[in-house]
Amino acid sequence: MATIANDFTINIATANGTGSQSANLILLQSLFEMGIPVSGKNMFPSNISGLPTWYIVRLSDLGYQAPGDRTHIQVLVNPATWDEDLESLETGSVVIWNSDAKMEMNREDVISYPVPMSSLARKINPKIAKLVTNIVYVGILAEMLGINQSALESALSKQFKGKEKAIGLNLTALGLGRDYFKENLSKEDPYVVEQRELKTAKFFIDGNEATALGCHFGGVQMLAWYPITPSSGIAEAIIEYVPQLRTNDEGESTCAVIQAEDELAAAGMVIGAGWAGGRGMTATSGPGISLMQEFIGLAYFAEVPSVFWDVNRVGPSTGLPTRTQQSDITMLYEGSHGDTQHIVLIPGTVEECFEFGWRAMDYSERFQTPVFGLSDLDLGMNRWACEGFTYPDQDMDRGKVVRDRDVFEAFEDFGRYLDVDGDGIPYRTLPGSGMDPILYRGTGHDTKGVYSEKPKDYVDLMARLKRKINGARELLPAPLLREEIECEVGVIYIGSMENTIQEIDDMLEATGLKVSQCRIRALPISNQVGEFIRRHETVIVLEMNRDGQLWGILRKELPNDLVTKVHSVAYSDGQPPRARIYSDLIMAKLEEVKQ
Amino acid sequence: MSEVPTRPAKVIKLNMINEPKDSYTGGPSSLCPGCGHDQISNVIIAAAWENGIEPHRIAKMSGIGCSSKTPAYYLGQSHGFNTVHGRMPSVTTGAYTVNKDLLYLGVSGDGDSASIGIGQLIHAIRRNVDMVYILENNGVYGLTKGQYSATADIGSKKKKGTPNQTQPIDLCALAINLGCSFVARSFSGSKKQLNSLIKAAMSHKGFALIDIISPCVTFNNNDESLKSYGYVKDNNVTLHIADYIPNREPMKEVEVPEGHFRDITLHDGSVIRLETISEEHDPTNAVAALSALHAADAESKHVTGLLYFDGSKPSLIEDLGLVERALIDVPDSELRPSSEILDKLNAAFLS
Repeated sequence: MATIANDFTINIATANGTGSQSANLILLQSLFEMGIPVSGKNMFPSNISGLPTWYIVRLSDLGYQAPGDRTHIQVLVNPATWDEDLESLETGSVVIWNSDAKMEMNREDVISYPVPMSSLARKINPKIAKLVTNIVYVGILAEMLGINQSALESALSKQFKGKEKAIGLNLTALGLGRDYFKENLSKEDPYVVEQRELKTAKFFIDGNEATALGCHFGGVQMLAWYPITPSSGIAEAIIEYVPQLRTNDEGESTCAVIQAEDELAAAGMVIGAGWAGGRGMTATSGPGISLMQEFIGLAYFAEVPSVFWDVNRVGPSTGLPTRTQQSDITMLYEGSHGDTQHIVLIPGTVEECFEFGWRAMDYSERFQTPVFGLSDLDLGMNRWACEGFTYPDQDMDRGKVVRDRDVFEAFEDFGRYLDVDGDGIPYRTLPGSGMDPILYRGTGHDTKGVYSEKPKDYVDLMARLKRKINGARELLPAPLLREEIECEVGVIYIGSMENTIQEIDDMLEATGLKVSQCRIRALPISNQVGEFIRRHETVIVLEMNRDGQLWGILRKELPNDLVTKVHSVAYSDGQPPRARIYSDLIMAKLEEVKQ
Repeated sequence: MSEVPTRPAKVIKLNMINEPKDSYTGGPSSLCPGCGHDQISNVIIAAAWENGIEPHRIAKMSGIGCSSKTPAYYLGQSHGFNTVHGRMPSVTTGAYTVNKDLLYLGVSGDGDSASIGIGQLIHAIRRNVDMVYILENNGVYGLTKGQYSATADIGSKKKKGTPNQTQPIDLCALAINLGCSFVARSFSGSKKQLNSLIKAAMSHKGFALIDIISPCVTFNNNDESLKSYGYVKDNNVTLHIADYIPNREPMKEVEVPEGHFRDITLHDGSVIRLETISEEHDPTNAVAALSALHAADAESKHVTGLLYFDGSKPSLIEDLGLVERALIDVPDSELRPSSEILDKLNAAFLS
């Protein structure tokens, strides 16, 4: 039998709260330790205990990180989804199933490995049998696929950091799994793992932790937050790193953390901190941003630095709280009532989560305006291979703040909202400085900050704000372009689609097409995006939502002759993007465009 | 050559930091003539001037409504933030967290604080944010032309419409139950009492709520209103005569009253002296404070004075475990961890 090495997908069906996540992370880490390009997706429910959870492990020597379009190896532990999971498998798939689950195994066309997982686990410790069951299937997989024992041991020690008892217990359970496979089953499937040499050293980290670290290296001074999935990990990681990164020898920190009473208050605190001259931020998800809208308009209009991280989950409303989507784009870019426009940074990798974490603070103070980080559940909560974080290549940019009286005196005429430099960015003084005291307000104001309803004052103010944000276009992270010389089809996309785009590209190119990629990393868009569109025959705007939000923004901002060249492929089912679905949709769209 | 204008010499009174009272005034008020809020603004100006607070050290905070417009009418040399409806407490909390060295003077109204903003008021009290929270309470929404607010008394009738039948929210009772460290009620017409209470609140470290009945002359000043000038004047139960004694040189000479009095020492060493009028009120006793409120309420009266005080509570900044300096004074080099620290982090992740 020909073997299939490092190119398959494992789907593990368990129940939430049974400890399967730690077993799954050990499996993922052990494959990673063997140098195999691997990705893991946790498909968890909005629940603490009992509802179905799936963990998808994709091995791909090509580096594909999407979940894969089909399951090759199914682990069945959870009776609740048993029949459905079994039914969805293609002929020839492998099924490792808990024969103690009192469920039927009614497929004849699959490779079946029954394992009495519960009784094996009970042998070790009946009290924690449920927990141990999970590590038993890791042992089975290890033996079946040929995972190195040393890789497993290394993964175990990382997972349980020094907890010798837990490591010992899990080692025993792994051994039981391995032995059971050796003694009672014979390998009938083609799937194996093969050790690879990694070109560069890498580690696994989730986007939320990477973002949190970036915020610390941006010198965040106040975090105000309200817990919400999937963003809590950012706030929790910021808190976790305060002692190590932001605390002096006396145990005093330079980063205040307040758990607010709601998202409205969190936004208010961020804006208060920005107004006072500090670096304030919050982390939330779409529902939180909805609640913050009024404050976002205030920060835009009164020009107060403030940073908001949105880890996008599925909307509208409460939606699917534990699933991923790219559907907050418009809400962030044009947030709050009236005419507004905001800077949005959109990382696609964990390295960028870190980088945009500190850059968001700089941009916010530079442009005196709210800055959003737009991550998503897939990027934020799943672990991704990371080559390490790069130290900021510039000092903290505190923007146009007048701190010294002689600088202040040198102004011929000082007005908080006076455009001295012609870039739309005025100068500000801070409360307590004694210089140019003004009453910040959300009402209309003149260049001195004094209340005004005069048409000219309003028009001038709105025009300056537009000029200010437009001025950011070429200073924000530039789009990443990967172009084919033929310039046939261009695909514009954002964020965590980065992890699926190459597989989509390969599928499209397998049909003979030549496909270029353009990943937008910030709004407002750079002029480079328009040039990319101009160079290409047909351009697809690919995004994970229903309505083509990014496409809508492009249509609004591109010159007329380019508008007709961009076509929307927007789809979201809540799952991390599977390459086949999107490549099929792109092919269908290209067909449609041709006619 | 133009003529140099001359004017007769006159004496200007300066406070202890050599500032004239003009340094504490603001722009002209756009509120209705006779509005209670303008009287309060004048007391704020007087209190800040007399206490010799540097104007730039004060931060004026407000929400939305008639009351929240007033920061434009006092302390023109102070920075301020006229925020959004009911959300001034959170903005103040954020500002205070990064700059604890300012004196935060919040002004709000009953529309702002008792309805949309009640949650934020509660949580600012719960955290003991170090701020003065002046609540200009008139029982109606003035800026939207006279709808009842959540503090309108039962049976009270505004100029237009039917008497209010909805149970009012007593924000002082609420604050006492929440353990607010400084709770007072006053009346915009009681200048002297208000002056002492505002000064005491400024000397207090922690959340100081002063709920001030401030009649709305346009929509709620008729005889049938329980928050009209006439009614409050006739039905004001004063707990004590409050006198603020600053702790600084030269010490203010105060008459030691005959009879009972109680001195409460505030965080900056100043004292508020509460002189008993009829029955002694113990402001350190929450039950007594609530009893005073309920007794007055039962007789449709308004009790004024320092209702409750607890100087022992740590303020929010003490809970946050921050460095000694205000965070905005920490240099960037101490905010951003070094590249060596990042190298170590990267290495630890890889090991």
